[in-house]
Amino acid sequence: MPRERRRWLRFGRGAFVLPPLLLIVVLVLVPIVFIALYSVGLRTNIPGQPTPFSLADWKDFLFGGGGAFRGRFVYSMEITLFVSVVTTLAAYPLAYFLSFVARRHRYALLLLLLAPFFTSYLLRVIAWQIILNNNGVVNSVLWSLHLRPRGNAVSWLIYSNFSVALVLFYTWVPFVALPIFVVLENMDHRLTEAASDLGASRTATFMKVTLPLSLPGVVAGFVFVLIPTTGEFIAPLFVGGPNNQLFGNSIQAFFSDSPDWNYGSVLALTLIVVVLLLMLVFGRFLSTDLRAGPRGNP
Amino acid sequence: MKLVGRFGTLSLNLYFWLFVAFLFAPLVVLVIFSMNNSMTPTLPLSGFTTKWFHQAFSNGELTGAVVRSAAIALTTAVFATALGIMASIGLMALRGRALTFAIAALLLPLVVPYISLAVGLLILLQTFGAGPSLTAVVLGHAVITLPFAILVLLPRLRSLDPAMNEAALDLGASAFGAFRLITLPLIVPALVSSGIICFVTSFDEFAIASFLAPSGQPTYPIFLYASARTPALLPDVIAIGAIVIAASLLLVVIAEAGRRWAERRLVGAGAAVQSALAEASVPLIAHR
Repeated sequence: MPRERRRWLRFGRGAFVLPPLLLIVVLVLVPIVFIALYSVGLRTNIPGQPTPFSLADWKDFLFGGGGAFRGRFVYSMEITLFVSVVTTLAAYPLAYFLSFVARRHRYALLLLLLAPFFTSYLLRVIAWQIILNNNGVVNSVLWSLHLRPRGNAVSWLIYSNFSVALVLFYTWVPFVALPIFVVLENMDHRLTEAASDLGASRTATFMKVTLPLSLPGVVAGFVFVLIPTTGEFIAPLFVGGPNNQLFGNSIQAFFSDSPDWNYGSVLALTLIVVVLLLMLVFGRFLSTDLRAGPRGNP
Repeated sequence: MKLVGRFGTLSLNLYFWLFVAFLFAPLVVLVIFSMNNSMTPTLPLSGFTTKWFHQAFSNGELTGAVVRSAAIALTTAVFATALGIMASIGLMALRGRALTFAIAALLLPLVVPYISLAVGLLILLQTFGAGPSLTAVVLGHAVITLPFAILVLLPRLRSLDPAMNEAALDLGASAFGAFRLITLPLIVPALVSSGIICFVTSFDEFAIASFLAPSGQPTYPIFLYASARTPALLPDVIAIGAIVIAASLLLVVIAEAGRRWAERRLVGAGAAVQSALAEASVPLIAHR
């Protein structure tokens, strides 16, 4: 094929990236710019209101009377961090089981772990509400087993830190297991063989070879919970009480029930910045390396 | 020596299966209560009935919301997958800084929290004087699903031998002809995966839809949210929920079986496993 035609083809193909890029610019970057403008008062949704530049909302949120929202932010990050750690710990044995015990059927079993994800998230949260609520499945089982007097519900079961954390944990465990599983699958098994040939016990082989080698997957899994949970607001709507609402719920409220788009934009932009910072710190552990093609593109 | 001893094997097996039970428990609970003859989903069970299914199907608002969401999800899936093909073809031709920049931009929706994106889109609509609309919902969903389409399609396109395409061009095919006759048939499994992931994400999406959908035209998640708090509507929600759950699980099994079959025919079993892993890791980030 003539060089000239090949160059033209490549140039033409490169241009295909433009329409999708345009969509991202118009529907992601431009909205973020508008959020920023709202957050400093340069725009408003209230007709006729003047729009001078003002950092009042930012000052209020960061240092002033917005302590309630600062508190909610800290609470969100605490729950997020707690859930991420517990989820990662619980997911590791699942990945280990798939990779080292369930050798033959591991892909079918992996699918079994992931299948609930493909059903509606809201439905699953509603199901947890049915299970945990004061007349719910857990309480009525306890009553029928005479473990608690009838009508006396376990108070921390719903509308509590426990219920919010449980639903988030439930949602994310399979997805943390996945990157750990991928790392274990790609591990060089000669290393563990060498360790045991040289006399290491099973525990020593795990602690000194398998675990260190699988850490990239562990960190990737941890990030997979951390990032989306930071912006979570659906679970608390169903299973959280007034004290268990997350930062995302504050943003939602400012744009629906008690509208103040300017203050809401401060919170929305804060959330974006926090997640981007988390990505900067942890992003390199996510090995979705799209730059390198398997055929070694020139 | 095996890596896991007998005791380890036993306890890991126990742990795994208990976990599977935990993961499916909420689904099972919904299915059981969908056939329970009581207004409230509480134990003890009050006998078998199918009346909630009849009632749910005659609830026009509910079935309307399900159909609306399915239409939105289908449009989103086709639109996002088409954009994903374009983006992937473009990315394959880019090099160096342009490539880094384009990838960063195209994957940006993965790291912008949906709630922030949703309010940003609400502001955008109001700035340009447009009201809430289902078109806006589709556009919002297309943006959040585009990265998934790219993550599925790009590795697949990269795995194709460029010599096949060049042979077609040398033999006189136009660039489009080579794409349609050579590339497209080879990426059908990836197109289906992309379509399913985009469909599921859109069908289930609440944050963006709740801000952009017109109040008289709720999507299924919006209807769920509104009616789960109304005890009189809960049996309907549970009945349709049971059907949605069964349909989703069936879709997963069929898609997986179909994909394995197609992959084996197209590229051999080894590559099938690889791409299964690559595609399985996509929903990871999907869900917020």
